Amino acid sequence: MAKSSADPSRRRFLKGAAAAGGAATFAAGYADPLLKMGKGLTGSAGETPDHPIHGNSLAPEYRVDPASGELTLNPDQRLAFTVCYGCTTKCGVRVRVDNDSDRVLRVAGNPYHPLSADEHLPMRTPVAEALRGLSAFGDHGQQNRSTACARGNAMMSQIDSPFRVTHCLKRVGERGSREWQKVPFEQVIEEICEGGDLFGEGHVDGLRAIHDVETPIDPANPEYGPRANQLMVMEATDYGRSAILKRFAFNAFGTRNYGHHGSYCGLAFRMGSGAVMNDMKKFVHVKPDIQNARFIMYIGCAPSQAGNPFKRQGRLIAQARAAGTLEYVVVDPALNASTSHAADHNRWVPIRPGTDSAFAMALIQWLLDHQGYAADFLEMPGQAAADAAGEATHSNATHLVIESEGHPRRGRFLRASDLGRAEPGADDDAPLVIADGELVDAESVMAAELFVDREVELGAAQDGSGERVRIKSSLTLLREAAHEHSLADYAAHCGIPEATIVALAERYARHGRRAVVNCHGGMMSGNGFYAAFAVQMLNLLAGNHNRKGGSAPGGGQFNGVGSGPRYDLANFPGKRGPQGLFLSRSRFPYEKSSEYRRKVAAGEAPYPARAPWRSLAPPALTEHLPSALDGYPYPIKAVIGCMANPIYGQAGLEGLIADKLKDPRRLGLYVAVDGFINETNRYADYIVPDSVMYEVWGFTGAWRGTLGKMTTACWPVVEPRQEKTDEGEPVSMESFFIAVAKRLGLPGFGEGAIPAADGTLHPLNRAEDFFLRAAANVAFQGEPLPAAEQSDIDHAGLAPLIPKLVRTLPPEEHGPVAYLYARGGRFEDFSDHFKGENLTSAWTRTLCVYNERVGTSINTQTGVPNRGVPCHGLPSLADGRAMREVFTEEAWPLLAFSFKSNLMNSYAIGLERLRMIKPYNPVMLHREDAERFGIAHGDVIRIESPGGSVTALALVGEGVAPGALAIEHGYGHRDLGATPHVIDGESQPDLEWLRAGININDLGFEDPTRRVAGTWLEPISGAAVRQGLPVRVTRVEA
Amino acid sequence: MDPIRRSLLGQLARLSAGAAMVPLTSVARAGINQQPPRREGDPSKRYGMLIDLRQCIGCQACTVSCHIENAAPLGSFRTTVSQYEVAHQESGEVATFMLPRLCNHCENPACVPVCPVEATYQRQDGIVVVDSDRCVGCAYCVNACPYDARFINARTQTADKCTFCAHRLEAGLLPACVESCVGGARIIGDMRDPDSQISRMIEEYRDELMVLQPEKNTLPQVFYLGMDERFVTRPEAKPVALDVLDPHGKEMGYEFGH
Repeated sequence: MAKSSADPSRRRFLKGAAAAGGAATFAAGYADPLLKMGKGLTGSAGETPDHPIHGNSLAPEYRVDPASGELTLNPDQRLAFTVCYGCTTKCGVRVRVDNDSDRVLRVAGNPYHPLSADEHLPMRTPVAEALRGLSAFGDHGQQNRSTACARGNAMMSQIDSPFRVTHCLKRVGERGSREWQKVPFEQVIEEICEGGDLFGEGHVDGLRAIHDVETPIDPANPEYGPRANQLMVMEATDYGRSAILKRFAFNAFGTRNYGHHGSYCGLAFRMGSGAVMNDMKKFVHVKPDIQNARFIMYIGCAPSQAGNPFKRQGRLIAQARAAGTLEYVVVDPALNASTSHAADHNRWVPIRPGTDSAFAMALIQWLLDHQGYAADFLEMPGQAAADAAGEATHSNATHLVIESEGHPRRGRFLRASDLGRAEPGADDDAPLVIADGELVDAESVMAAELFVDREVELGAAQDGSGERVRIKSSLTLLREAAHEHSLADYAAHCGIPEATIVALAERYARHGRRAVVNCHGGMMSGNGFYAAFAVQMLNLLAGNHNRKGGSAPGGGQFNGVGSGPRYDLANFPGKRGPQGLFLSRSRFPYEKSSEYRRKVAAGEAPYPARAPWRSLAPPALTEHLPSALDGYPYPIKAVIGCMANPIYGQAGLEGLIADKLKDPRRLGLYVAVDGFINETNRYADYIVPDSVMYEVWGFTGAWRGTLGKMTTACWPVVEPRQEKTDEGEPVSMESFFIAVAKRLGLPGFGEGAIPAADGTLHPLNRAEDFFLRAAANVAFQGEPLPAAEQSDIDHAGLAPLIPKLVRTLPPEEHGPVAYLYARGGRFEDFSDHFKGENLTSAWTRTLCVYNERVGTSINTQTGVPNRGVPCHGLPSLADGRAMREVFTEEAWPLLAFSFKSNLMNSYAIGLERLRMIKPYNPVMLHREDAERFGIAHGDVIRIESPGGSVTALALVGEGVAPGALAIEHGYGHRDLGATPHVIDGESQPDLEWLRAGININDLGFEDPTRRVAGTWLEPISGAAVRQGLPVRVTRVEA
Repeated sequence: MDPIRRSLLGQLARLSAGAAMVPLTSVARAGINQQPPRREGDPSKRYGMLIDLRQCIGCQACTVSCHIENAAPLGSFRTTVSQYEVAHQESGEVATFMLPRLCNHCENPACVPVCPVEATYQRQDGIVVVDSDRCVGCAYCVNACPYDARFINARTQTADKCTFCAHRLEAGLLPACVESCVGGARIIGDMRDPDSQISRMIEEYRDELMVLQPEKNTLPQVFYLGMDERFVTRPEAKPVALDVLDPHGKEMGYEFGH
């Protein structure tokens, strides 16, 4: 070690080495008390705890008699089931509340909940019995646990955080100056609706003026839609409350522009998944059936380190390790908690960041060359063959793609209509395949040729007079793509030895349909879409979809906010549909734009478009804000943001937009609804407080990974801490949208807003008007739930809920709705979700080896068509140049990447119980790189990228791939308490600890090849690139 | 070899044949060596814990739930999980090793005899506790414990440690750490009850179980499963660093525990 033991930083370094317990505790414990000894021998000089032995430990929530199992509730406490907001897994939890103070005492898992329990209990289990099952009685509680993770435990301190916003705030001084005044809720609603000279900076358009669903934004570009689109609404994610936000934005106000965190979370992964799953609208993705799989490759994701569902995957992988049923590898640039030295059959395979497509295409090449794929399954050309074989679905491996360059149907599947055998687009216009050498309808045969490359004549005549086109089967195209590089080249590129790749491929093939791959946020590289497409293709080659031990999208949820059996929460009198173009120019082919037509008419080259248009991508927040602030395709006038924090979350965004966001001429009005002030909403004009954690209403599902159908019910199990409206409702996102809509006279809110199944109309004046009716929809779906017993109500702490339920719903709904809340939601019984080898709730669309939509789309910056099969590519910038051409390895020798923390998340830094375990995120650097740059373990280093510079502490070792720099996400905050705000002249506490560590997104940068400013985004999806940022490191001299 | 690796190496050893198991069946009520007689607690029980390291995912749910349940001061821990990076001696392959730690409620606890005021004592059910009415905060016990399981509670100025959540066991509930163990690694129970889950697992895995620092002859009653023998011979553990820097690179020190 370079430093001497006398060095003070070295001392702390060693002290921390025992990770929070051990040596550090010992030192702290021993030094002080020696002084105390002089104080006498009759007892301590400190506070007297509640109990001489049990100290200040909490009083038990209930008692269970060890002999009889009889359960006695502690009358001073209640337990209630709701959702955890600690991450996007959204686990169902049991919250223990002190009745007197309404304080949350501790949180654990809901035993009915599939994301929290080992084996979740059947709904019919009485609540008292469920609670008994969690106790030590008969060891039941540790044979079937229901848990909350570290963060889930720690999150409760958000409720009473000193940084929590509890009153409506209006900025003082210019935007972003961190100074506020409290203003009444009603004043906020008036000012933002009516506008005026709100800040002494000139006139600001209010929402009433912006709410114009008739006048086009720009008559020269009518596809942009009406002026109402100049309101943009954004949120972090759906924590079960989005339905009301979207109801306001899309269907009441009528703006097209809504965005959430997806594009800086995992969008590249999801689109790559969607390409295989044949779902380019919702981009469904799959998770492995860990309990039955025999071999899993986790690529750029890490079960038990992070991931979604965090606890469930962690638990299942732990059980599989102990049972010895599963072998798995974690292919990731960093070593993390997902591989365990305590068990065999699991290992870490380091990979260079942003090179996953090379690794996956190498595997694909080997599998195709060695018959290591599910040939019997892939040969099934249509559903008829699949049905006959007892398969849930089939793939398009045998379907034939028209390859002739310049042909109007290039990239399309050859269909019956191409040969005059059907009308184009008709039901019988099926894809054609080759069987026994003949071109036949895919539905007419049981098997077809996998590898086809030939010419065919189009038209009905087939007499040599028709046009001849080249066709190739999907699998041929995949094989060609896989052979564009040699295994050795792929290996050299991704940093995994060829022998390791071959060994993994062999093992993958050997396990057949019980071999699975899983990927997630690791795919957020500059080539993420094709990387994820390639990785997910491995699942298709194994034929493991819908199979026991394979991969599956999961059981879905009971939707309460649609047209339900009791209420129609999707429709209402006067409902509008949004129109026009998203700010992010998504889901709209550039070739249909006025801009394109003007260029073509003027004889100009239509490509590149001024900025990327992405016809395959969903609306993306990564593009929304920068584009809007630059006025392309059009400027906006107002933003409403709910818990959204893109500036912390999107690499390079702060440097790109912070100054523009401050400028009221670029954005007139910015209203944030949030319980906390974060790096983004600190630029807001107004902050409206919101309920947090266990104070909210809502309904959430599982983000895949559960096989049964499930919906989590959330309700305010403690009283929201923030101020109330004049009507006595907590100020919150719901009361905000309700108040704005009512003031503007928008449909869907206020009186007569919710149609019931019996034709009557019901009001939407309070959050519960919406969510309790959604609860009725969930409770009455399919076979209605029975009525709750009084014992259920008592044991599930429903007392605060019942009066609201009674005043809102008709009597016949009370019992089933209480039954639902008494169990924290509705969950399909735990069971074997398979019928034989097949999953009961299967994914039935044709799985794509070749994705026709992808293969017929065009990159609007290069004018080049996108590939319809996975292929290896280099991370590239907007104009198509490889990132490394512009930011060379000589200048930026390392690639920084982030990984999810198992403790911290992007909004948890205020939780002192997490900071005490991991106060800071040192970066991981490989020993070889450290030697190369003269850095020693424990050195302070400067990390520079083309967009920023941060200072960090280096952990040097073998736990990261050479050439990579690993950054744990969740630290490096500048807000959420990291910098005090002044409210009515009073400063928030200044806790420097909240500023600790670094944020990878401070190393993001502006894409220099763009004309409309933007950060580096993945070309196909528009997802923020954070895996593989070019950086250099230097040692900071002490 | 740096000190961290050394200390870790010292803490691990294979359970010598049956040594720690003896007390399960023949507990000397009058005390072993210089142990004072046990008092209070249910004499028909002997609580112990088994931690299946194969199922520990290092999530720290135990650490946080214990901290909340037992109102420990920030920066002080009754239980925690240390995370190590270990390298295979031959292949160089690295993996993660998780080591949950807590009071071992030893059969021959080193902390008890050193207490000058008999504030710390062992109950008849094996749980080692501290009577805060008597404790003077001298920290002899903190110093005597080879497992760093104790600390002086900054608020009460008395010795503080894991009680196996005795207040919950007495109510028929599970300790916070066990209840919240995401991977299902922690098993607690009465080792005198042959039908308890822990007794059955001890029986099943008897030859594979290990305890920390058996050479100290403390006879720990927290047993580890999956504590691979190979680990003892090649603990290439890398220390983690917890220095805190602000965004300007200024060293900030450690927030809690000073």
